[in-house]
Amino acid sequence: MFVTKALFASPRESQRSYYDASMVQGKSMIRARRPFVVKNALTGLAIVGFTAAVYTYTIRAVAQDNFEDVKVPDAPVQSAKASSQITSGLLSK
Amino acid sequence: MASLQATSKRCITQLLRPRRQWPAAALARSQHTHSRKPPTHVDIEVAKAAAATAPQKPVHIPREIGPGVLEGEAPRVLLRPNNLFHAWDKSPSSQIRERASRIKHHAYCPHPEHKNSPRHIKFTCPDCGIPTYCSEEHWADDYENHLLICDALRESNEDEHDLRSGRFFPEFEYPGEQIEEQLINMTNWDTYLYTRGANAIDEDRQMRQVTKLLTYPITLASVVHELSPYDLRHRLTTEGLRSMAALRYNLHPPASGSGQDVKSVRINPPPVRLFILGARAESSLPRDVWYQLAYLFPRATFHLIFIGPESMKGREAEYPLPERTPDNPFGAVLERPSYRMKISTFVEYFHTLHEAHAFAPYDPYFDCFMLFHPGLGHPGSAAEWEYTLPILLDTKSPIICTGYTETDLKRDVDWVHNKCKGEFDVLLEPEENRFKSLRWDINDADPTDLSQSNWGLWAFRGKRYEATVPPPHTINP
Repeated sequence: MFVTKALFASPRESQRSYYDASMVQGKSMIRARRPFVVKNALTGLAIVGFTAAVYTYTIRAVAQDNFEDVKVPDAPVQSAKASSQITSGLLSK
Repeated sequence: MASLQATSKRCITQLLRPRRQWPAAALARSQHTHSRKPPTHVDIEVAKAAAATAPQKPVHIPREIGPGVLEGEAPRVLLRPNNLFHAWDKSPSSQIRERASRIKHHAYCPHPEHKNSPRHIKFTCPDCGIPTYCSEEHWADDYENHLLICDALRESNEDEHDLRSGRFFPEFEYPGEQIEEQLINMTNWDTYLYTRGANAIDEDRQMRQVTKLLTYPITLASVVHELSPYDLRHRLTTEGLRSMAALRYNLHPPASGSGQDVKSVRINPPPVRLFILGARAESSLPRDVWYQLAYLFPRATFHLIFIGPESMKGREAEYPLPERTPDNPFGAVLERPSYRMKISTFVEYFHTLHEAHAFAPYDPYFDCFMLFHPGLGHPGSAAEWEYTLPILLDTKSPIICTGYTETDLKRDVDWVHNKCKGEFDVLLEPEENRFKSLRWDINDADPTDLSQSNWGLWAFRGKRYEATVPPPHTINP
C-alpha cells in the first residue's frame, strides 16, 4: 500500500549522507555525536595515557644502567724494565 | 566522479518511484486541527449522522498532480528558500490567508488595556508577519512582551510557507527496516535518526518539519521500547517499570523458531493494542509514519485503534463510513498498511464502546492507552473525559498522556490528582518529552499562544490492590 523496502535508502547510502564530498562530518553527525564527545575524549585520553605509560616504563626498564656514582680505581703504574724482567718465581735468574 | 554518479542514480530512482501521497499535503490540510479544543461540546450524534448519510456518490479521492498539489486545486506558487517570509494576510498561499482571516475573526488583542472591552486583531507585526494586535499603537506599546515570541512566530511563519513552497522534501523519506542487532539510541532526535539509518537531516527547518510528524509514533515508542531513555534513574517509577515490563513481554517476544514451512509454524499471540483516544490530527497522519512503530518492534504485531468524535477529521475523502454490520457493529474504518499493523478508526466516544464491550477483556500485557494532548484539565474538554477516566483506570493498562505546553501538562496532572485521588499510580514523572515536535504551532484562537506538539509527557495507571495479604514469614528454629 505504501513504499516497499526497495525504495528506502540502503544503509550504506544513508551512512554516507552524514559526510560531505570530502568526508568531513556533516552537521547532523556532529549533533548526533554530541552526547558522547566528552566521555569519548576522556576514554581516548585514558587509553593513550595507559599506552604511553607502558612505553615509558618499559624503555626506562631496559635502558643501559648508569654507573656515574661508582668510583673506578686508577690503572696500576708499571716501569718498563721492571715489567720486562721476571724477578721472582721459577724463571727468575 | 563518484558523487555525480550517485546523484544521477538517485534521480532515476526518484523518477521511477510510484506516485505516493506527499506528506506535505497531509500536514498542510491538518493544520486547523491543532487549535485548542473549542469550548462547545461536539455533538456525537450529529457527527455520526453526517458521516453515515453523506451523499452516496462514488468517493473521489483527489490525486496528487504535483508535489503537495491535489487535483482541482490551483497549482501552488513555488517559493525559494530565501523567499519564505510573507505576512500572513498577504501570503501567496490561499490557505494561509484563510488562517490569517480566521485569526482576525476569532482572536483578541492581548494588550492589557482591553481587560473589559476586548477588541479583535487587525494589525500584523512587520517583523514576524503574524496578526497579533488590534492596532500599531498597541503593538508598539506591548513591544517587550511581543519580542519574547516574535522570533518563534517568525520561524513558524517561514515553516508554514516552506511546507507550501513545493520543494523536494528529503526529510519525509522515513527510515525503513531495522535489523534487530542494530540497536537504537533514544537519547534525543539526532541519535535516534542516526541509529535508525535515516538520511542525514542537516538543516534545522527540515528537522522541525519531520519531527512534527514523527513525534506521535516515536513518543509512544520512547516510553514502551526496551531501550527507552526513561528508566528507574530517569523519571520512571517502580510501578512504571512493572507496567512496561508487562508490555515489553509482548513487544519484544523471544524468538520462537517460526519459519515459512509447515514444521516451523508457531502460534502467534494476539496483536498489541494501542488505543489512541481523543484522536484528531493523529488519525490522518500518513501510514508510513505510523508504520515506524512496526519497524521499531521487529517481532511484534500491532492494532492501532483511533477513537474519538473527531477521529475522521482531515479524512473526509474516506466518507461515508462503512455500514454497521454484525462484524463491524460501530462502522469502524479498517486499514492494513502492511502485514504487521492494523489500523481501526472509530467515530465514537470510548465510554460508548466500552459499555458495549467492544474491546473487552483488557489485558495490561497487550493493551496501552495513548492520549495525545487530551486536554484533561482544559475547561473546554474536561467534562468529556470525566466519564472515560474511571474506565481507563479500571483496565489497569498504562495510560500515556502528552501536553502542549508546561501549563497544559500541569493542569492535566492536577486534574487527574483531583478527580482520582489515591486511585492511580504515576508511571512516568511529568516533564518535557525528549521526542517533542521541534516546530512551533500557532493557535488560531490566540496567536500569542505558541506550542509544540507533545511538549510534555507523563503516564499513569489505575492502582492495583492486593486481595490477600501474604502470611508473615516465620524463621524455622
